[in-house]
Amino acid sequence: MTTTPDLTPWITLQGVRKGFRIGTETVPVFSGLDLTIPRGDFVAIMGPSGSGKSTLLNMLAGIDSPDGGTLQIGGARLDSMGESARSAWRAHNMGIVFQFYNLLPMLTAAENVELPLLLKPIAAGDRRARVEKVLELVGLAGRGRQYPALMSGGQQQRVGIARAIVTDPALLLCDEPTGDLDRKSADDVLDMLRFLNRELGKTIVMVTHDPQAATHARRTLHLDKGQFVEERKAA
Amino acid sequence: MSSLVRQFLVMMRANLAGLRRRMAISLSMMLSVALVVGVLAGFLSMAAGFEKVLTGTGSPLVAVVLGGGTNQETGSEISSEALRGIMALGGDIGAARDAAGHLIASREIVVTTEAAATSLALRGMDQAGPGLRDGVTLTDGRIFAPGMREIVVGETLARDIPAFALGRTVRLGTLDWTVVGLFSAGGSAFESEIWADLDTVRAAFDRQGEVQSLRLRLVDPAGIATLRQALDRITALPLTALPEPDLYAGQSGRTADLIRMFGWPLALLMAVGAAAGALNTMMSSVADRTVEIATLRAIGFGRVPTFLATWAEAAVLALAGVALGTGLSWLLFNGWQASTLGAGNTRIGFQLAVTPQVMLSAGLLGLVTGLLGGALPALAATRLPLTAALRARG
Ligand SMILES: Nc1ncnc2c1ncn2[C@@H]1O[C@H](COP(=O)(O)OP(=O)(O)OP(=O)(O)O)[C@@H](O)[C@H]1O
Ligand SMILES: [Mg+2]
Repeated sequence: MTTTPDLTPWITLQGVRKGFRIGTETVPVFSGLDLTIPRGDFVAIMGPSGSGKSTLLNMLAGIDSPDGGTLQIGGARLDSMGESARSAWRAHNMGIVFQFYNLLPMLTAAENVELPLLLKPIAAGDRRARVEKVLELVGLAGRGRQYPALMSGGQQQRVGIARAIVTDPALLLCDEPTGDLDRKSADDVLDMLRFLNRELGKTIVMVTHDPQAATHARRTLHLDKGQFVEERKAA
Repeated sequence: MSSLVRQFLVMMRANLAGLRRRMAISLSMMLSVALVVGVLAGFLSMAAGFEKVLTGTGSPLVAVVLGGGTNQETGSEISSEALRGIMALGGDIGAARDAAGHLIASREIVVTTEAAATSLALRGMDQAGPGLRDGVTLTDGRIFAPGMREIVVGETLARDIPAFALGRTVRLGTLDWTVVGLFSAGGSAFESEIWADLDTVRAAFDRQGEVQSLRLRLVDPAGIATLRQALDRITALPLTALPEPDLYAGQSGRTADLIRMFGWPLALLMAVGAAAGALNTMMSSVADRTVEIATLRAIGFGRVPTFLATWAEAAVLALAGVALGTGLSWLLFNGWQASTLGAGNTRIGFQLAVTPQVMLSAGLLGLVTGLLGGALPALAATRLPLTAALRARG
């Protein structure tokens, strides 16, 4: 079964403003950004360095908050939540895939994948079963006991993806998930993301510099100087 | 197990596993805490050892009668009139008598003298004197003879000052004395004394006719009350009777307090320095774990477990320092021979005692040092900008 997005907006940004204070000056990154993403979409966000891609993703993740405007995901107003509410919301509703994988080196692959499950009232046996399942899903069945340092970059990123989806969140946020990988590993990871979107219905927002990566998405948004400049639908 | 506990445990595990990367600075925190613990343990064990010697000295079956309104031998004087009055007391006065009905008593005087550049207590006593010391055994030689310039010396003193070996002649005051015997008293303060015949001491130090204290054997520990009542009948002089242990325990308090009053401020001052070191160590630990912490927080881990895990790392390092500090203190200090000036400014030998109480006090100071130094960094850990996690290379 292949899912298609129903076009009702699920993520909505309206007039979002965001700037960073440097000394006494505030340098604006966004001054009135609008964006809607329907559930089940796979959006690639591209743009020159410093255009605000990571800033946008951080706000979607609730790691950073807008200075003004509204940011709504699935009915939850992230812009008006406090820090701990956002932290709890994050734990239940999204997975994050990092450019440098951000695996804890002292934990095995399976233990890394298990981390988000520790936040939920799930028994140890059930946790292990779910970890097994997602490791299998990302093609790392039986590799659970391995430490990240002994894995290739592509394998580590697949552990990172497994960790992001182990709680079965509706939303996946990826900041340059293939930025540190060779072409072959990057394509594997991108195929994996496409699978998660098409087959499991995950909504994915992916920041990337790689035009090739963008072709795996359903659509690509170009950010420049804090504004979206052009939209290109994937074939 | 609640989610909070699980978060704390996994963060704690990551912290401890990362300690290897921060080996040098973690060791430095451990060592500075150990140093604080060691210094405090040193002083406290000295005070405890000193107290132990003095509180372990004397028998509740021996009463010491003092005259002139003092409860120390120094400054006490019993006039010959009062002395005759005591010896003439009839009936049950709480004190034991020999077969002939005479009180078992020893008149005594302590003079401060010097040998081997040390102030020493030379005690003149009647022939009954040694028998009025419970727990004292002659380990070598014999007791001094009446009228002879002979001395019997405690083992602690004989070991510390070789001039007091058995058979040696020692100059005390202006005259030579021969060591004819050694006694042991289980390490108590008696062992720091030199004993000789009362009249010989009085003659040698020009103290003819003086008596400082009178020791009496009690029929039982409660006899002290009966004795006090009987002494009230003597009006020539105000007289006090103390159980022998009270006499020595009274001496220990001030000196032990003095040692503690010197030790605590010094240890606290060092603890402030060690806490600053701990702060530095933990700040660098937080800096080292920035990506780790931010990643976990980005996943949804809370601030409370983040704080606690960092604080617990400080506690673990401090406790390792405490273990090292108390362990080394015990190995180095416990039983270490020392001496200090006791009553009448004479030398009292004792052993440092690293008691459980000493270890507890020093250990708590070490732990508090680590917890104080770790609190601010733990707070800093909860305030790390999470955006770092998405940016930095793990
Ligand atoms: N924490 C911060 N403090 C100050 N300025 C910041 C901070 N984070 C981002 N900026 C600034 O905001 C702007 C947007 O940064 P952002 O990281 O979102 O860009 P980006 O599109 O992700 O760039 P890149 O492709 O290099 O990752 C840049 O000018 C950057 O310098
Ligand atoms: Mg970026």
